[in-house]
Amino acid sequence: MATGKNFNPFVMAQAQFDKVAEYLDLDEATRQLLREPLREFHFSIPVRMDDGTMKVFRGFRVQHNDALGPNKGGIRFHPQETIDTVKALSMWMTWKCAVVNIPLGGGKGGVICDPHNLSDHEQEQICRGWVRQMAKNVGPINDVPAPDVMTSAQHMLWMLDEFETIHGAKYPGFITGKPVGMGGSLGRTEATGYGLIFTVREAMKELGIDPAQTLVSVQGFGNVAQYAIRLITQLGGKVICVSCWDQEDQCSYAFRRIDGINIDELLKITDRFGGIDKTKAAELDYEILPGDAWIEQDVDILLPCAMENQINSETATKIKDRVKIIGEGANGPTTPDADRIIEEKGIFVIPDFLANAGGVTCSYFEQVQCNMNYFWEKDEVLSRLDTKMTSAFIAVSELAKKHKIYMRDAAYVIAINRVAQACKDRGWV
Amino acid sequence: MAKQNEPVKRIFIDLRERTKELDCLYKIEELLSKKHTNVIDILKKAVDIIPKGFLFMDLCSARIVYRNEEIMASDYKKTPWLLSTPISIYGETYGRVEVCYLKRHPQMDENPFLKEERRLLKTIGERLGHAILQIDYHHAASQHETDRKAPDEPPNEWRIILDLLRKTDRKLFSRIARKMANHLVWSGHRQAADFLQHFSYRQQGRLHPEDEDANRPSQKQTLATVIELGREIFALAEKILTDADILACIHKWIQEEKASDIVQVLGNHDSTLSEIVDAITRYHFLGPDDEVYLSPHTDMGLRVSLIRQFFFDQLKFINIAKNFIHIDDFYELVQRIIYPAGSHGKLGGKSAGLFLAYNMLKKSPYSQDLFKNLKMPRTWYVSSDGLTNFIKYNNLEEVTEQKYKEIDQVRIEYPQIIQLFKNSLFPPEILKGLSMALDDFGEVPIIVRSSSLLEDRLGTAFSGKYKSLFIANQGSKQQRLDALTDAIAEVYASTFGPDPIEYRAERGLLDFYEEMGIMIQEVVGTKAGKYFLPTFAGVAFSNNEFRWSPRISRGDGLIRLVPGLGTRAVDRTSDDYPILIAPGKPALKVNITPEDIVRYAPRKIDVINMETNAFETIDISDFIREFGEDLPGISRMVSKYERNHLRPASGLTNYQQDDLVVTFDGLREKTNFVKQMQVMLTLLREEMKNPVDIEFASDGHTFYLLQCRPQSFALGETGTAIPANIPSDLTVFSANKYVTNGVVPPITHVVFVDPDEYNNLENCEDMKAIGRAIAKLNKILPKRRFILLGPGRWGSRGDIKLGVSVTYSDFNNTAALIEIALKKGKYVPELSFGTHFFQDLVEAQIRYLPLYPDDENVIFNWPFLRDSHNVLGDLLPEFEYLSKTLRVIDVPGSTEGKTLRILMNADEERAIGFLGLETDTYETGSETVAVETEQVENHWRWRLGMARKIAIEMGKRKLGVKAAYILGSTKNRSAGPESDIDMIVHFSGDRIQRSALENWLEGWSICLGEINYLRTGKKRPGGLLDVHIITDEDIERGDSLARKIDAVTDPARPLPMQAQ
Repeated sequence: MATGKNFNPFVMAQAQFDKVAEYLDLDEATRQLLREPLREFHFSIPVRMDDGTMKVFRGFRVQHNDALGPNKGGIRFHPQETIDTVKALSMWMTWKCAVVNIPLGGGKGGVICDPHNLSDHEQEQICRGWVRQMAKNVGPINDVPAPDVMTSAQHMLWMLDEFETIHGAKYPGFITGKPVGMGGSLGRTEATGYGLIFTVREAMKELGIDPAQTLVSVQGFGNVAQYAIRLITQLGGKVICVSCWDQEDQCSYAFRRIDGINIDELLKITDRFGGIDKTKAAELDYEILPGDAWIEQDVDILLPCAMENQINSETATKIKDRVKIIGEGANGPTTPDADRIIEEKGIFVIPDFLANAGGVTCSYFEQVQCNMNYFWEKDEVLSRLDTKMTSAFIAVSELAKKHKIYMRDAAYVIAINRVAQACKDRGWV
Repeated sequence: MAKQNEPVKRIFIDLRERTKELDCLYKIEELLSKKHTNVIDILKKAVDIIPKGFLFMDLCSARIVYRNEEIMASDYKKTPWLLSTPISIYGETYGRVEVCYLKRHPQMDENPFLKEERRLLKTIGERLGHAILQIDYHHAASQHETDRKAPDEPPNEWRIILDLLRKTDRKLFSRIARKMANHLVWSGHRQAADFLQHFSYRQQGRLHPEDEDANRPSQKQTLATVIELGREIFALAEKILTDADILACIHKWIQEEKASDIVQVLGNHDSTLSEIVDAITRYHFLGPDDEVYLSPHTDMGLRVSLIRQFFFDQLKFINIAKNFIHIDDFYELVQRIIYPAGSHGKLGGKSAGLFLAYNMLKKSPYSQDLFKNLKMPRTWYVSSDGLTNFIKYNNLEEVTEQKYKEIDQVRIEYPQIIQLFKNSLFPPEILKGLSMALDDFGEVPIIVRSSSLLEDRLGTAFSGKYKSLFIANQGSKQQRLDALTDAIAEVYASTFGPDPIEYRAERGLLDFYEEMGIMIQEVVGTKAGKYFLPTFAGVAFSNNEFRWSPRISRGDGLIRLVPGLGTRAVDRTSDDYPILIAPGKPALKVNITPEDIVRYAPRKIDVINMETNAFETIDISDFIREFGEDLPGISRMVSKYERNHLRPASGLTNYQQDDLVVTFDGLREKTNFVKQMQVMLTLLREEMKNPVDIEFASDGHTFYLLQCRPQSFALGETGTAIPANIPSDLTVFSANKYVTNGVVPPITHVVFVDPDEYNNLENCEDMKAIGRAIAKLNKILPKRRFILLGPGRWGSRGDIKLGVSVTYSDFNNTAALIEIALKKGKYVPELSFGTHFFQDLVEAQIRYLPLYPDDENVIFNWPFLRDSHNVLGDLLPEFEYLSKTLRVIDVPGSTEGKTLRILMNADEERAIGFLGLETDTYETGSETVAVETEQVENHWRWRLGMARKIAIEMGKRKLGVKAAYILGSTKNRSAGPESDIDMIVHFSGDRIQRSALENWLEGWSICLGEINYLRTGKKRPGGLLDVHIITDEDIERGDSLARKIDAVTDPARPLPMQAQ
């Protein structure tokens, strides 16, 4: 059935790389090196199931490139995991770390299993089995796993424990995504939302926009959006519209108040999942509009912080002329068609790749703190985040300006260039 | 004795005498109440006590003669001043008691004894007689015990017993004699046959056949003759049987006779509830069941009678119940029954199921460990004829005719009936009973539940048709009583409500004389702040009809668990989720990631507010913050959520500040709750010979069983019979594994994502576009009349290649979600089982089915799915480029009016999707069934009729209407009681006409809304019509609704505007 021409995420990631490699005019050896992972591990994890039978699971770890530092990337539990997906994701991790200029490489791993069919005990055995197989090739100075699809802090703690048992010492920096108090970092909750606004702030500076005069519209009211709204409001901006999902009606609504929304007031009537109570919002003088209305607002900044594909060829045409900046808090909120429309409109886009890198930066901080076994206060984490995000933004933006390329492309160019350069400097190619 | 002119002093003396006499009697009673084995010992002490009751006690002395013994005080001597009384019982004299004054007292009269003293002595004589008899019995019994233990030396004990019987209870003697005659004949001793004949003749007063002469009066028989006959029988028995045998027989028969009272009461069909209750109470005091020997058949007969009297006469129920409910089990039950005088009522279905299940569990081998903390909440019952009695008492007889009225009439009158009932009085004996019940409950919240005779019977599902009402039960006794009677009146009134009447009419149960039993149950729980609630409650099913993993089998069961009152677990709620556990596989959880666990955690809680005396639904996090610490067992209920991590609550949990989520992880891991449920469900299923559905609650310490009934009653969980004769060319697909039970309405549209084509899509954008197209189709295809059929894992996260990327809201209108697993090489991919939105599917009752087209013995009709006309491009032109992969089949359009019928049957592990007409019937092996899956017939037909009428009326008026169309559920014949009527009106008039048209339609809408309410009880605010007025311009512009008129699939249908 697999016919070769069908969609293959790794082929797609390679194509994306090839485009940039061409632009950077990389030599053939560098291209060859970066087109494929440095190392791939495929192994079996035998597990005695709760009913006494033995079952063998397939595990993977792909280390795409570690020229900049230890590999970093999640471990996925997925029933139909394919090596192509894992390879593609590990490559993206390499670029993602490089764009914010943190000294980490890219990796990804996983186990073919469906946790819905496994007890906690069986999952624990898989986690420990994975570490037993990989113990020699991972670690705080080699390769640092993290939670991903269907894995959580609990899985990380099982893995960490197995790793430390095997090595007979404490290595909290082996893995990230741990709970606070168990080696986790403070500030993780705020990191993505704040990181987004740090880049938006820099963009405003660059475009000469006075934050106190800006109007903002936000899609989503989850964790990222909430912290983004809080920070941009502190900077003087006025958020006039926010959309969110309504669980009861199974559709989204936009909540608008022209003289500005009040985040604390809204949080009081918001459930854990970012759903705003529309009856209570109406009582607080918010207009309740259809969910799509967030994009049609006459504002300076749009912050898509919900799901992917929200800005597409259909919705992009509704963007008002006043809009100057789109900060992509969500993953992949803009479709390629929409990108073209936005580019034509001359809107400045901070690509997701860069804009939501606050998360991965904070994971890096977690590892740093673990390795020195000293943990910063939240303020310190956030101020260091500001520094990292700001310099990352400036680098990308300057490149975009200098070479007159679209911000999204600039982000890729800078990331791939950094990795290619490191490989060269090390004398690998 | 007290003379008129005696001074006050005399009165004092009199009183002192009475005191002395009473004191004497008390002392005798005290003496007799002690355990004695020797009569002489008693008599010796009695001789000392007796004189103390007499006027001149210092001169008084007593003597007792007993059989050949003489017991007397040392100073006793016979004088002329003697008083004597016999010691006798049942006419048999054992001896005498004598009292003498030893010398004459100066004040003594001629007859020195007072009349009170005579009475005193007589009473003492009788009491001594009883005591002696009792000791004799005791001797005989213990002798028998000794004999049993030492069978080698059987003494001649039976004679003593028989002798005693003859003296004390001649009727019993004669019955035992007769039984002996029977016994002898049965053992083959023909000589006894004569006696038997004699017996029957004498006992029944009938003549010997040869003597039969109607003109001759029958010979009067006396007890004396019977006794004589008895002696003869036993004389014969002595020759034939050993002493030990005779003794054993006599003992057995005497024990049987003890229960004769209850046998007689139950044998009499006219016995009232009151007589039965008395008989059970008396039986209880005979001792535990195993001490009162009943022959197995008598015991069984009694159990059956009791079950029939109190519960059902359904044989299936009796056959099961008789093995678990013992006679004495009814004792506790009958102490709390409230019934009118002369009642013959029953307790109803709900009571029956609960009582049976509870007894099954308590008699199981697990009763001492696993079910040790299992209880039934304290419950009072009002017998089913309480309702009839209430109606008669208030002269409300005409309401019983209510059920024969038109349903709209019933609905109009129902609120009045409720008021009428609430303003009526309860008969005094019921009020007295309810008052006792309230005293017994104290000020704890109670629930008044219906327990009608039709409810929860095997075969009728009355779930939720009658009312159950919570009462906070606070305040003065009168207030509480008022609230209770109010609630009972309301439950009574619900018998005459439109819903149950309609339900009964549909099932031909209208003529059944429905009586309504009432259960008044203590609400399980504790007070936390101003609220009262159980720590947790829920429902559980033996069969799991919603499996989220192939490792879970149907028999692993399902628990729906919620914090607080169980109402949220019983009903499906759209905005909240219960915790689901498969007790057979508790380690396999529905939700895996912390995010999903939190997303699908219960958010609200049902409680009783003790301040407002009302049932309330409140936000769970507010509750935990305010009162969490007051709730026992809360640490077993919640987990602390920190980014991507959940930990069960601990001793240090801060209920005010921590982010807490209801997970019940502590309950699962630290208690035996899940094991208890698993054993309970398995055991009940095996013993009831039917899967069951139970309700339970816990106050954090004790587990309470609240209800138990056969599972098939639960809505939407019955399997549909699969016809055997469906031609394979009409079959679209079939399945033979992982099939659950469920009802799917007839399907008009199939949305099919071709697995091969999907896999061949070259870029990720196209794959995502499929998901977006489906989201659009979800909005335009008729609700619950289309299915999604696609490869692999719907809504897969992480890798879009594995399945179409959709979220729940993208397909929430589908009737079923079907996943296709195609072999890849030798490997069959694992399907998702809908786990990405499992709980949403459960609450919305969207059915899930996995298909394995490569398996043997299944059908997968590729040609139908691939070659039928694809209407995607017509519906969504913007997605036409995906037509190869995404196919939308208009089933009636492609099959000459057929629909796709999906039948799922978990019992047979079979499911089938086939093309059929709604009127078709099919063979299912044993019976012919019309495959009608939903009662929608009337709703759409009536709506269509109304729409036609409106169109014709519009045609008659000058309203500027060019054409009218019907669409939506009315057109698609899927309208339910709550559906609106969707119409398009093509208008080309002026402004005045438009305004007139709108007003006119609004009038119709409101009227139809009202009529619909009367028909169905469903209210639609703003009327029933949903009219879209379109103009020529809209049509030209291709407005989305205007496009409906000539749409390729599911087009709006024109309505004639002139009467034909």
